[in-house]
Amino acid sequence: MVDELLFFMEVLVGGLLAGTMYSLVALGFVLIFKASATFNFSQGAMVFFSVLAFCGFMQDFNIPFVLAFILAALLMVVVGLCTERFVLRPLMNASEDTVLMATIGLGYVLEGLAQAAWGVEVRRLDLGIGDFPVPWIADNLKLFISALDITAGLVAAIMIIGLFLLFKYTKIGLGLRAVADDAGAASSIGIPLKHIMLLVWSAAGVVALVAGCMWGARAGVQFALVDLALKALPVLIIGGFSSIPGAIIGGLIIGAVEKVLEVYIGPFFGGAIEGWAPYVLAIFFLLYRPEGLFGEKIIRRV
Amino acid sequence: MSNTSSNILDIKNIEVTYDDVILALHDVSLKVPKGKVVALLGANGAGKSTTLKAVSTMLASERGKVTKGSINYDGNAIDKQNPSQMVGLGMVQVLEGRRCFGHLTVEENIISGAYSRKLSKGDINQELEKIYTYFIRLKERRKSQAAFTSGGEQQMIAVARAMMAKPKMLLLDEPTMGLAPQLVAEIFNIVKELNTKEGVSILLAEQNTNVALKNSDYGYIIETGRVMLDGTAQSLLNNDQVKELYLGISKKGRKNFRDVLKEESLTKKKIN
Repeated sequence: MVDELLFFMEVLVGGLLAGTMYSLVALGFVLIFKASATFNFSQGAMVFFSVLAFCGFMQDFNIPFVLAFILAALLMVVVGLCTERFVLRPLMNASEDTVLMATIGLGYVLEGLAQAAWGVEVRRLDLGIGDFPVPWIADNLKLFISALDITAGLVAAIMIIGLFLLFKYTKIGLGLRAVADDAGAASSIGIPLKHIMLLVWSAAGVVALVAGCMWGARAGVQFALVDLALKALPVLIIGGFSSIPGAIIGGLIIGAVEKVLEVYIGPFFGGAIEGWAPYVLAIFFLLYRPEGLFGEKIIRRV
Repeated sequence: MSNTSSNILDIKNIEVTYDDVILALHDVSLKVPKGKVVALLGANGAGKSTTLKAVSTMLASERGKVTKGSINYDGNAIDKQNPSQMVGLGMVQVLEGRRCFGHLTVEENIISGAYSRKLSKGDINQELEKIYTYFIRLKERRKSQAAFTSGGEQQMIAVARAMMAKPKMLLLDEPTMGLAPQLVAEIFNIVKELNTKEGVSILLAEQNTNVALKNSDYGYIIETGRVMLDGTAQSLLNNDQVKELYLGISKKGRKNFRDVLKEESLTKKKIN
């Protein structure tokens, strides 16, 4: 009995921590959705592009770890800059659907560029953190939890606190929230949409890099990261597209649910249900709570 | 008003098209003298909002363009500027329908108006206190979420927010829309106060002809994209046709100036 409970705890905690990896990816989507009300389909490509560049800097040019990370982050700011200038600005007055289509195109461009620049083979990314159980926890709590999962959890927590402080207490954060509420009114009082878009896309780029590092260390830096990032879709449906806490909680829920279901219900379906179980959960949310757990309900005075 | 330099805003014969095909303004000319309140009156769809947006350059975001004529503001020809540059030049538009940031608090809404200015935290607080002297009601509600405040309060937020940008000129688009008469008076009192104490020139678009003219120095009446009549507010209030068509003191079934012109041409024909 105790063993079973321990096993369940292990599955649950492992799932929750793996979920923070989804949360990290989802964060990037939320940032852009808040500012431009668009689901950024290129977020997965941004994850792939950024982490591949990071690996490229380290492995092809022998640039040290920290410097390579900073370079990759700067590269993502440049990507944000180009996106604002060449994609978003010309589409300023276009409908949200048009912008959505443009992000799909942008995704292909980024995927192509990344592979053209750094090659197509799978790269190994060593963060110096092993993807194996931490001995101390295994000995004392009898739980086998990966060090990488714990790191991902900590990194996610730090990023959320950072973004929260940025939005709540800085001038540009106030500008971003104003644009998220009513872009037209924001521009009528002199908030330059250009700067806000640049900020948001750069921030999303850096978040993509961090998420890419975590995923790359686990699964190898490879093209499959692009599709993996789309797991953020059910996370966002559950958490709400415009909520940063929602992205986090949504990620945790998806992580925990898919692992628990895989272990306890999976065998009845012949296994490997974690690939689609999150989407089933997402469909239930779409039916019964379409704004997600934390999504901002559209407030209307009656 | 012959001395052009005394006008902060000078619109000359502008024509505005949306989407390259829809002609919204045919020929609108108007002047706003420095430190005065000018009312732009007319029914729905007459072109009031379009005129204001042409001035604030908000037209571009609605695929509108000034295709003829010129707009001169405070010595600058308005042409390629964008809205945030206009705010930098001291021209702020309060959009129709208040458009508060619903998820932000009242105070955050007002502070967001200072975005274009480089102010320290202390300066912002000082400005806030000054703004609150005009909008006493907002001070009590500073911590509430803007979406949950009343319509009148939201209108005050929108004007207060615009004032934080320290404008030389305010464009107010239907500030009294959907408000109870008492609130209409309150809003106009504040507008008058801002005009006299802060020296802000004001161009306001209104459907509420009576109240608007009583609180303005000069008025323009536009119909289907054309200025039909202009004059001092007092002269317009005493004008029989304005009384009949816009103040609801009606004799016959005439609805607008076009009907009046039609009738006049008919009677001329009869006489001939």
